[in-house]
Amino acid sequence: MIPDWMKDVDASPCKCSATRHGKKGFVGKTIDGIFGFLEEAFVSETYSKKNGLLQSLDARAKLVSILAVIFATSMIGDLRILIFVYLLTLLFSFLSQIPVLFFIKRVWLFIPVFAGIIALPMIFNIFIPGDPLLPVLTLGPGAHLGPFSLPEDIYITSQGVNAAIIFTVRVAACVSAVVLLFLTTPQQILFKSLRTVGVPKIYVLTLEMAYRYIFLLMDLIREMYIAKKARTIRARGMLEEQKWVGGRMGYTLIRSIDMSEKVHMAMMSRGFSGEVKIMQEFKMQSRDYAAGAMAISLGVVLVLISHGVLRV
Amino acid sequence: MHIPDGYLGPYTYIAMWIIMIPIWYYAGKKLSTELRSKQVPLLALAAAFSFVIMMFNVPIPGGSTGHAVGGAIIGIVLGPWAAIIAISVALVLQALMFGDGGITAIAANCFNMAVVMPFVAYYVYRAISANTEITSSRRVIASAVAGWLSLTTAAAFTGFEFGIQPLLHHTAEGVPLYMPYSLNVTVPAMILEHVLGFGILEALVTALIFAYIQRTDTTILYGEKIAAQKKSKKSATIA
Repeated sequence: MIPDWMKDVDASPCKCSATRHGKKGFVGKTIDGIFGFLEEAFVSETYSKKNGLLQSLDARAKLVSILAVIFATSMIGDLRILIFVYLLTLLFSFLSQIPVLFFIKRVWLFIPVFAGIIALPMIFNIFIPGDPLLPVLTLGPGAHLGPFSLPEDIYITSQGVNAAIIFTVRVAACVSAVVLLFLTTPQQILFKSLRTVGVPKIYVLTLEMAYRYIFLLMDLIREMYIAKKARTIRARGMLEEQKWVGGRMGYTLIRSIDMSEKVHMAMMSRGFSGEVKIMQEFKMQSRDYAAGAMAISLGVVLVLISHGVLRV
Repeated sequence: MHIPDGYLGPYTYIAMWIIMIPIWYYAGKKLSTELRSKQVPLLALAAAFSFVIMMFNVPIPGGSTGHAVGGAIIGIVLGPWAAIIAISVALVLQALMFGDGGITAIAANCFNMAVVMPFVAYYVYRAISANTEITSSRRVIASAVAGWLSLTTAAAFTGFEFGIQPLLHHTAEGVPLYMPYSLNVTVPAMILEHVLGFGILEALVTALIFAYIQRTDTTILYGEKIAAQKKSKKSATIA
């Protein structure tokens, strides 16, 4: 029996990384990236073991519910409903004992980079013509940028702003839902639950194994880069360094194929015949069915309202 | 190039799912007869490699760093069909574990990076290297061109998927609901970015990895395995 104190999970995310040393070259960045990855994996593991609302649901019900919400969100064009869905994800993160601030940061961390670049130009009348909201500058007639001709006046349009906000909030709501899913579900259970949406057993096993070996390969890479860092006095020429990275990638590739042979033999010697069996350790309770049904009907209702079929 | 949720409208992503499901099914069937019990460990390790290849930072001119996508070298080494599954698994992992790439867009992402990239790379590599010696430098060049062209093609497909959004989805007033830019913006933007930037890095990395494999262990290459199998079959029929 494992004593209780050993089962306790340190729920607060920790900073594992201790790689602050001056200017970072490609070596430092790689090592940082790997530590960042490990930290993120660790953090989501700790949240998935907390005692919250979403953690207590059956993984299959949760997967289906979150997928229903995401698919519904991708079909909604009404800003108020999108904001409602986004607020709903915040509420669920709170009920699942994920600090809401951490959750918001986690979601918005990578939204600005992509969605922002796309959404920002949308507000100008160059892309979406509409009613002027705020004039920016006057170019005069015949202005053009490369092959594109520009309008005489450039201004921010209300339609453009509206479209940009809808676009960004939709991305935010979808990303929040996925983040909720993986923050509240332990990986191996999440993979197993993919069976419910029709992923064949053999790929569920492949996913599980791939996930495990990612950590092994990450460790291999970290060791190579740290070994290089430890032995480097002065950086060599760019091409030499690039050659080194290429070689290490090739080595990792050969190692992983080689390892797959060994893993295969080890599996065979333990009775693996190519047929995949997966342990079923799920228990659906009535509340899981209720949660799934609620999420699906919520999705349907929101889509119907957004398309004007239902009126509130 | 990972498309997040909310960029593509339902028509596009559902169409991509309909395209991808038979491709996955066929690739799975083909691999299970070719690899049998080896399938799971090989694909799992290959998927793990496809995942970690993005962790390798490569120094690029200007003191900055970048990373490769890796679809090309995986296509060349494992063969295009195994690459489809391996890269798809890696993409699903990224979407589910880190929110990198959307759930609705999984099929679109897999099509661009797990189907277009390895297939273009493998056949370009085969066409250019022709019947040269396995250690010839022509094969290194072939792999570089394969890396460059495959990434650019994948980018063009991504640009096309973005560009058809305003045509398919807009409100009654013509305000777009998803990706707002039309084809004449998205396709040139994606292609230019990859022809001059990321494509060159991908070419360099593909060539460097290929050159390393040439020097150390060429038996892992898919093309070589196929050739060896054909030879052994021929000699068996002669005997």
